[in-house]
Amino acid sequence: MSLTLENIGRRINKNWIIKGLNLHVAKGECLALLGPSGCGKSSTLRLIAGLDKPDEGTIKINHKDVTNISPVNRRIGMVFQSYALYPHLNVADNLSLGLRIRGVPVSEQKKRVNNALGLMQIESLFKRFPSELSGGQRQRVALARAILRDPKVYLLDEPMSNLDAQLREELRPELRNLILKGGQPVVYVTHDQHEAMAMANRIAVLKNGRLEQIGTPENLYAKPSSIFVASFIGRPQMNIFPDKSGLIKAIRPEDLKFSNNGLKCNLVHKEWLGSSQLLLLDSQNGLLRLLCGSEESIPEEIYINWSSEKEHYFDSNTGKRIDKSRQ
Amino acid sequence: MIILFLLPAGILILLVFGVPLIRYSWLSMHAASVVTGLDNIPNGGANWIRLLNDMRFWKDAWQTVRFASFSVSLEVFLAILIALLLHQKWKGRGILRSISLLPWALPTTVMALGWRWIFNTPYGPIEKIINFMGLNPLNILSNPKLTWLSTVLGDVWKTTPFLALILLAGLQTIPDDLYEAFRLEGGKPFQAFLKISLPLLKPYLFLGVIFRLAQAFGVFDLIQVMTGGGPAGSTESLALYAYLNAMRFLDFGYSATIMLASFILLVCACALSWVLIYQSKNIYRVYNS
Repeated sequence: MSLTLENIGRRINKNWIIKGLNLHVAKGECLALLGPSGCGKSSTLRLIAGLDKPDEGTIKINHKDVTNISPVNRRIGMVFQSYALYPHLNVADNLSLGLRIRGVPVSEQKKRVNNALGLMQIESLFKRFPSELSGGQRQRVALARAILRDPKVYLLDEPMSNLDAQLREELRPELRNLILKGGQPVVYVTHDQHEAMAMANRIAVLKNGRLEQIGTPENLYAKPSSIFVASFIGRPQMNIFPDKSGLIKAIRPEDLKFSNNGLKCNLVHKEWLGSSQLLLLDSQNGLLRLLCGSEESIPEEIYINWSSEKEHYFDSNTGKRIDKSRQ
Repeated sequence: MIILFLLPAGILILLVFGVPLIRYSWLSMHAASVVTGLDNIPNGGANWIRLLNDMRFWKDAWQTVRFASFSVSLEVFLAILIALLLHQKWKGRGILRSISLLPWALPTTVMALGWRWIFNTPYGPIEKIINFMGLNPLNILSNPKLTWLSTVLGDVWKTTPFLALILLAGLQTIPDDLYEAFRLEGGKPFQAFLKISLPLLKPYLFLGVIFRLAQAFGVFDLIQVMTGGGPAGSTESLALYAYLNAMRFLDFGYSATIMLASFILLVCACALSWVLIYQSKNIYRVYNS
């Protein structure tokens, strides 16, 4: 099972909202589409689902061209940001409506609905209406509906954005286990880089409808291909400032260290974060963020230094990464 | 505390609704006509006994129910179609939405006069066409079998936009992703209408039908201008009959009795429509509990 997007483009009037997009999601892989709002990640998901048609390119599921195939025949398991539960139907009917209209026999419907309810541990909720469920329970129902579809591909559109932070953390491993168990490719749309790193095997960063970089979370973190990716991946944000050589230099807050000599800074602001503390420092390079252990004492006169191996360089015109070895 | 906040609206409803109702109930138990010198003399329910034996009342009641049920059902059907059409995304729908409301904005008397002219024999356009085709004139406004239908048509033409507007508002509250989720599961557009739009429109449908029933059961101006209740009383409504009793025969006691009876009919019709709209069996249920 696999999902492939080849040279996908979509335009609204004359504006290309997605252009030249190539993606491949392998069996059992979770690919996160990451980017700010308006970058085309949800539009991409809609194209894969078949809710919209691409203006160019082909979409393949299991190496079969599905670009002109109706959404139902693509067999997509989709979880919407709003969950899209039918408000006038109880949980059991929400799950069985799709089976009914596809003409699945009633005995089979009941079996599959009960199975999905059991898998999501929501058997006791089957008579409730969506308005009587908590956010987390709604999400489980929406997920059960996607699982019930026995899909070839899972599409998740910001599935956790309506949940509070604690619930999100609880659900993440469970969600990962459930959707990756079947071996289907998963596309996970999010604007939260933290969630993308936690959920995905690979992350595709999108900007203005174009693929900015794709790779494993570790790879994106260690070698961001552009200033955009560098500033988008990793919190607190990378320090980015012009270098004497005319390039743009970037360095992660955790790579800055206190030292006896080096760059002189003034402390502007301090955030104590529990396991760490974030310092906002004023220097001749502008404001810098420094992340250090919460135990560490902050010197009165702050000098900072860093290992040159931790530096990243970008072209000041194109914003693209320049590897030091090639310099 | 809640009661306190409801008080202003409650008092208003009591004043404009409760007081006339009590006054009418009281009046219906009295003889109050030109014969009594307009004094109110208790007559122990004689008005009601007269009503039960009054064939003109029963005929008018039947005609009112016929008018209301035909026009409201036709309006609901057309309004759903129009609302669905105006809900689609296409160029110029904003203009069409405004234009479609025009009939409703027109004063009833004006449009009733218009219809009277359209149905006129032999000068109206409809009879002209009939004549052109070499057929016998229909005599629409003087044929008891046809005239009531022409009043239904006039009412449908005027008030369908009102219902369509309410239903359009209802359609706009239904999120698009419900339809998209349904599409992914294999739902066709018509199934989406039956299984998503229609059930979620129920509150709006009920509201619109209640409004329309109240107007249709009290129909007066349209009939008065278009037909005057004729021919041979075949389009006379209860409101018209009550008006005649009060204003021509100066029998206020009996007029109040007719109005009250018409009100009871309206309440029954509203209850029936509630049952039809809300208690219709959910055909998509698997787990009926």
